[in-house]
Amino acid sequence: MVQKGDLLLQMKGVQKRFGGAIALRGADLSIRAGEIHALLGENGAGKSTMLKILAGVHVNDGGTITLGSKVFTTGSPQASIEQGIAVIYQEPSLFLDLSLAENVFIGRQPMKGAAIDWEFAQSEAARLFAELGVQLDPKRQARGLSIADQQVVEIAKALSMNANIILMDEPTAALSASEVERLMTVMKSLKEANKAVIFVSHRLDEVLAISDYITVMRDGATVSENPVGATDLQKIIKEMVGRELTELFPKTEHKIGEIVLEVTGMSNPAYFRDISFSVRKGEIVALAGLVGSGRSEVARAIFGIDKYETGSVKIKGVELEKGSPIAAMAKKIALVPEDRRQQGLFMIAGVDRNIAMESFDRLKKARVFLNFKKERALTETWREKLSIKYAGPSNPVDSLSGGNQQKVVLAKWLATDPDILIVDEPTRGIDVGTKAEVHKLIDTAAGEGKAVLMISSELPEVLGMADRIIVMREGRKVAELSRAEATQENVIAAATTGKVGA
Amino acid sequence: MNILSRLKPRSREGSLGLILIVTIGITGLINPRFLTGDGTRDLFTSTAVVALLAIGMAPVIIMRHIDLSVASTVGLTAWFVADICAKNPDFTWIHCFIIGPMIGMVVGIINGLLVAGLRLPSLVVTLGTLYIVRGAVYVISNSVDYNAQEMPPSLLDLGQKVFFGVMPFTFLLVIIAMLITAWFMKYRKAGRDCYAIGSNPHAANLVGLKVFRRTFLGFVFSGAMAGLAGVFYLMRFAQVDSTAFYGQELSVVAAAVIGGVTILGGSGTTVGALIGALLVQTIQGGLAAIGVDAFWKAAINGLLLITAIYADRVLARKSELALLAQRIRERA
Repeated sequence: MVQKGDLLLQMKGVQKRFGGAIALRGADLSIRAGEIHALLGENGAGKSTMLKILAGVHVNDGGTITLGSKVFTTGSPQASIEQGIAVIYQEPSLFLDLSLAENVFIGRQPMKGAAIDWEFAQSEAARLFAELGVQLDPKRQARGLSIADQQVVEIAKALSMNANIILMDEPTAALSASEVERLMTVMKSLKEANKAVIFVSHRLDEVLAISDYITVMRDGATVSENPVGATDLQKIIKEMVGRELTELFPKTEHKIGEIVLEVTGMSNPAYFRDISFSVRKGEIVALAGLVGSGRSEVARAIFGIDKYETGSVKIKGVELEKGSPIAAMAKKIALVPEDRRQQGLFMIAGVDRNIAMESFDRLKKARVFLNFKKERALTETWREKLSIKYAGPSNPVDSLSGGNQQKVVLAKWLATDPDILIVDEPTRGIDVGTKAEVHKLIDTAAGEGKAVLMISSELPEVLGMADRIIVMREGRKVAELSRAEATQENVIAAATTGKVGA
Repeated sequence: MNILSRLKPRSREGSLGLILIVTIGITGLINPRFLTGDGTRDLFTSTAVVALLAIGMAPVIIMRHIDLSVASTVGLTAWFVADICAKNPDFTWIHCFIIGPMIGMVVGIINGLLVAGLRLPSLVVTLGTLYIVRGAVYVISNSVDYNAQEMPPSLLDLGQKVFFGVMPFTFLLVIIAMLITAWFMKYRKAGRDCYAIGSNPHAANLVGLKVFRRTFLGFVFSGAMAGLAGVFYLMRFAQVDSTAFYGQELSVVAAAVIGGVTILGGSGTTVGALIGALLVQTIQGGLAAIGVDAFWKAAINGLLLITAIYADRVLARKSELALLAQRIRERA
């Protein structure tokens, strides 16, 4: 029988590479029974890789992992499940067509003779849901369940497997305040039952409220392991960020002009509420906040991809038609989306076709046919301006590196000469050198008098590039900071707790 | 009765059954012959082959795959079984019932290895085997046809056998196959895995389900049923040439989809597949019975299919809206 405080899991010097990229360069983690353990770190610090190794999705290249006195067997989700490790992913991986009882027992259905004993499965699922303090009908289909309830089903699944280590990847990211409270009650009851709960979260207020132990990671290594009493918010934030912000960013001062984009009281209750802000000519405004805080949805609503219920968007004082990207483009708005592969590019089309995509009207011959010469000339112009590297102008963009793909998306929109440039996570997944180039392009665009709205999850980028920073949390604007006021600490504090002076 | 109540159709199958009964009723009002013993027997006889194939393909579709090779496989087995029997006059129906599914299984194994093993898309793989198998029949048959006199009398007698005046032997086997498959899909882990795999293939891997094995065996099962359906074809028509059952694969898919086996995987039952096959046949038979020209058959089939897909879409949209409404309430 496991006693409270027994060492259940120990990871030492764990390493993991993906091709040339090092995800973990020697991470440590020790978990005891009856403990809620928070795993913290910035995006890319290696938290998810740690969880995935334990889940059996990835195999570590180096270091040791022991479960109690046994060596952990890596390499298959099935093996991890058998060793008592249950993982609850950020996006719950339920089978939406199946009933809740079935989701709890999938692959391990109780049998009566040759047949599955559905009655027992249902009563057992109902018992587990009740134990977790949640009213759910085990016969109900999983489709249409809220994220919070889906997590409860996942936790019930973990309990039914007799897992003693339960990993949760950002379990609260998509939950409302009352749901978070309910989840915390569940986590505490797991702790009472001498299970170990490891969770990743960016909401530091919650972390401090519920954890017993906190491990902070940075750049693929463990920075600190402390009981919650031995650390505090300031210390954790310092450990997470770790480096002084150097002047990596080519931000230059521009003349800031009149208001170009003005958003007033914009609400779409499912995603964001009462959002107001403005962007001026020559200004870079950053929308900061956690993933899921509603930033991208605000951008999509401005550009007309989604509708909003109340509020208005004005371009140079004139109200913009709702829900029409065509109207937005006619008003010279450009949106460089978050997911370039799915939303930004036609992956199998050529570089030239992609760059010219939004400029066809200007490239026509006799008002009907596309003038290929002009298309080539346009491509050549932007290749030079952005130093895009490709073998031939008609090569599919699929063959380009991520950084060059991003430049193609930028070129496509810059070629339309927009007044308002919205960029969503402009440097996600691209290397450091290209990152700096993209930053320079954004700065140049602002210098040319464009109003820039930049969404970014990378704090250094936000602090380094923006004239003003708007912080969102759970669909609401919680802070607006000038370049002078903003620090890593107060932006993180606003994004995670909703208060600037935490 | 116990097994029937345990296989209590969910609302989808229930409402389909109701639609079927209403359709039969209306047809019967217009043409009373449709409701007689003969009319019912004809409906069952003409549905048996497609129904068996739809039941066989249901697990494959539930796993978010498709098997387009079944009609060619019917042609292949029908011709080969007739050929083997012609060369072995002492063979009886039992030989046919063993050889047929085995030939079908060979095609199923090839499909299964290509789809599950090499992870090729089943749409393309089975489109390929559709042509390969049909091509093989053309080449091997060398334009040789077989008629009743070359087939085992015991097989043809069985094809004529009718219980209680309305239930042909072949359709009785279809019902038995449906019941066994329905039980298997509901009460065995392997059956439930099919639903899970079709519902969320990524999660199926994460929870450690045997995705390769289930997918492979699904295609083998579909192939075996297609082989048996080839024997049914002989029993019904007592005649076979290399074009037997040519181009009928999509009516099988249509029957399954109309019966609520979702083409996107994850839901549907073999009960539904059987009702779907009956519904298609009833409407076609009914239209013929009330004097609608046979040329309308294909168009009516297409209309039914789109109606079924539309019904699915409406249901899906309804649950999406419910989800969004819930989200708004939670955020408020």
